[in-house]
Amino acid sequence: MMMDSLSDALKDALKKLAGKAIVDRAAVDELVKNLQRALISADVNVKLVMELSKAIRTRSLDEELPKNTNVREHVLRIVYQELVRLVYATADLKLEPQVILMAGLQGSGKTTTTAKIARYFQKKGMKVGVICADTFRPGAYDQLATLCAQINIPCFGDPKAADAKKIVKEGLVAVKDQEVIIVDTQGRHALEPDLIQEIIDLNVITKATHRWLVIDAALGQQASEQARRFHEAIGIDGVIITKMDGTAKGGGALSAVAETKSGIVFIGAGETIENLERFDANGFISRLLGMGDLQALAEKVQEAQMADEVDMEAMMKGHFTLRDMYKQLEALNKMGPLKQIMNMLPMGNMQLPEGVYDVTSTKMVRYRILMDSMTPKELDDPGLINSSRMQRIARGAGGTPEEVRELLKYYKMMHKTLKGLRGAGGGKLNMQRLMKRFSGMQ
Amino acid sequence: MFSGLRERLQAARNRLGASIGAAAEASRPVPAEPSAPSTAAAPGKNPTLADKVKILIIDRELVVSDKDVAEALDELEMTLLESDVALPVADAIIADIRTGLVGKHRRIGESVDALVVRALKSALLKVLGSGFDLPAYIKTHERPVKILFTGVNGTGKTTTVAKIGAYLKKQGFSVVIGAGDTYRAGAIEQIGVHAERLGIKIIEHQTGADPSAVLFDTVQYAISHKIDVVLADTAGRFHTKANLMSQLDKIRRVMKPDLIIYVDEAVAGNDAVVRAAEFDRTVGADAIVLTKADMDSRGGAAISIAHTIGKPLLFLGTGQEYEDIMPFEPGAVVEELLGSGA
Repeated sequence: MMMDSLSDALKDALKKLAGKAIVDRAAVDELVKNLQRALISADVNVKLVMELSKAIRTRSLDEELPKNTNVREHVLRIVYQELVRLVYATADLKLEPQVILMAGLQGSGKTTTTAKIARYFQKKGMKVGVICADTFRPGAYDQLATLCAQINIPCFGDPKAADAKKIVKEGLVAVKDQEVIIVDTQGRHALEPDLIQEIIDLNVITKATHRWLVIDAALGQQASEQARRFHEAIGIDGVIITKMDGTAKGGGALSAVAETKSGIVFIGAGETIENLERFDANGFISRLLGMGDLQALAEKVQEAQMADEVDMEAMMKGHFTLRDMYKQLEALNKMGPLKQIMNMLPMGNMQLPEGVYDVTSTKMVRYRILMDSMTPKELDDPGLINSSRMQRIARGAGGTPEEVRELLKYYKMMHKTLKGLRGAGGGKLNMQRLMKRFSGMQ
Repeated sequence: MFSGLRERLQAARNRLGASIGAAAEASRPVPAEPSAPSTAAAPGKNPTLADKVKILIIDRELVVSDKDVAEALDELEMTLLESDVALPVADAIIADIRTGLVGKHRRIGESVDALVVRALKSALLKVLGSGFDLPAYIKTHERPVKILFTGVNGTGKTTTVAKIGAYLKKQGFSVVIGAGDTYRAGAIEQIGVHAERLGIKIIEHQTGADPSAVLFDTVQYAISHKIDVVLADTAGRFHTKANLMSQLDKIRRVMKPDLIIYVDEAVAGNDAVVRAAEFDRTVGADAIVLTKADMDSRGGAAISIAHTIGKPLLFLGTGQEYEDIMPFEPGAVVEELLGSGA
């Protein structure tokens, strides 16, 4: 809904950067503004958003545009890198004996998550035990015991006891044979000093290996503050985002991670005990911004760049030889099937016939083989190629002269298209024209 | 409560006042300057009649321009966003304040401060709407009054049902609770313990039973025992799960609630708007309860939700005890947010 319109605005701002060969200050400013709005709507802490967007703006304008990359890709990559830097501190998770202390606000989903984590370790072949230290909420023990019974995991607790510390002490003895011990605690928030003291005590008693903070995906600006207080109290070393099956974007968790300098361990997305996933930075960021697969794009652009340098500038000026086309095809090949690339680019809703991609990508392989059979001179000046050269090229590549003719026709088309790209008009329009020509080649 | 938002709003109010004040200062004619320690703010001296007239004329001609307030409004928007007011809602409020301020002639004798406060106050009141008097509603409607509680997981529906049960009991109404959360493990035990502590009758089936049946039975019990109010708890569900939402719709058809109360938490961010709108669209909502208001001194979610679905806020949940519940009075809250002199 609203998020979609924001990511559309973001895409529009990116589109404006698409056709440009140099970084345009006004366009970057607009992009940064839209990015801010998208992040704030995703509940990322406002101050964090401001820092982030400042860094993105400075880097976009200061860093030299890498060759073989257009401005949009350049800026997108910076956006992605900056976001990854925030969430990428991997929370370590080892399959060894450990004690995990769960912490979080009321109703964030600690108990359900406790059972889910127990199931996770159980599936990895670990022996798991659970202690219910929530002595406050009625039904808390019943809830955890029921969930644990479903997966045959011992659950220690006493619905009638009032002292969480005592229960945990007893529980540690009761489940001492288990390798992974998870301690579920009562929900609390930072403004309840008694409860904060209690969790500090529990942390001491359990000598917890991990102290994980459970954050509701819908938690707003309060996330930073709460995470900070919990971190001060017990030293949070991992964050779990719950309720990601709704429409919330989980930006609060990003704030929490930034505040605790830890990583996101798990993502809970569903009501059944199996609905727990390891954190995937890429998917998370894509969801945050409401955009496609950014990581893949960022990585692929980088790879393609390293492979060979296509001189975009020269091409834009109309100097385009078969050699350039060869490099271009090679770069495209490295970036994967054309279809995948088109999906990764935030180009809006361009609808293309299915056949276009496949035909073109198989043809591209063929074209490269044909070009391998050409002399350097022919590659630099395709005009040289007469019918006898054509015969030779075809024989060398194991093809027919018709194929060579088709290749030359394709080259001419690309040449013309690039001239068109150079002309006025937005990137999208030209892209469409380009695709039309591609499909004409079938 | 909401003290964080209050501090911020008051800062914003001062800031807006200062911007407009500065604009007024700037528009003052230069000749007045040399002799003008006496102009506006020299309390020690008696201003001459000429000065007084000058002030009067100049002040009267003060028209607030877009430029005067742009910066301060940007800052106010940040304030709202930091207070968890959802982005589209913050945009709407700022636009409202802008139209309330820009182009307005200040009334003679009216201070800058009052002008700003008036704009802020009307914008906030417009958003928060009127409150909702539950006891009065129950008194004027046919008994039993059936109240259905809805919301996403973990917002505090069950606790809220218990608190409202305690509140209504104190007001002298008889209450019965229907344990309609038959899904979550431990939910029936949870509401059962609350009901027992409060001495409220509870109607329950087993875990996994059809919630519509439980709540139908609860209503039947209330009719035959002449109970005043039925409080129907339900399982938390996400607005994105079509089958769970249609289950809720079935509950509504079967028990025919008089009031549907949507429960969400005060700490929720932008998503509060999305889900409130979706619940309102699919099963309807007549009033809102915001829980966990003690966690959060900002209260932006109250503003967001009220603005989005245009329904009154009934209660705020402010703690873990049964009495930690507060009827919401928009006038009083706005008064508190903006401080005295409004």
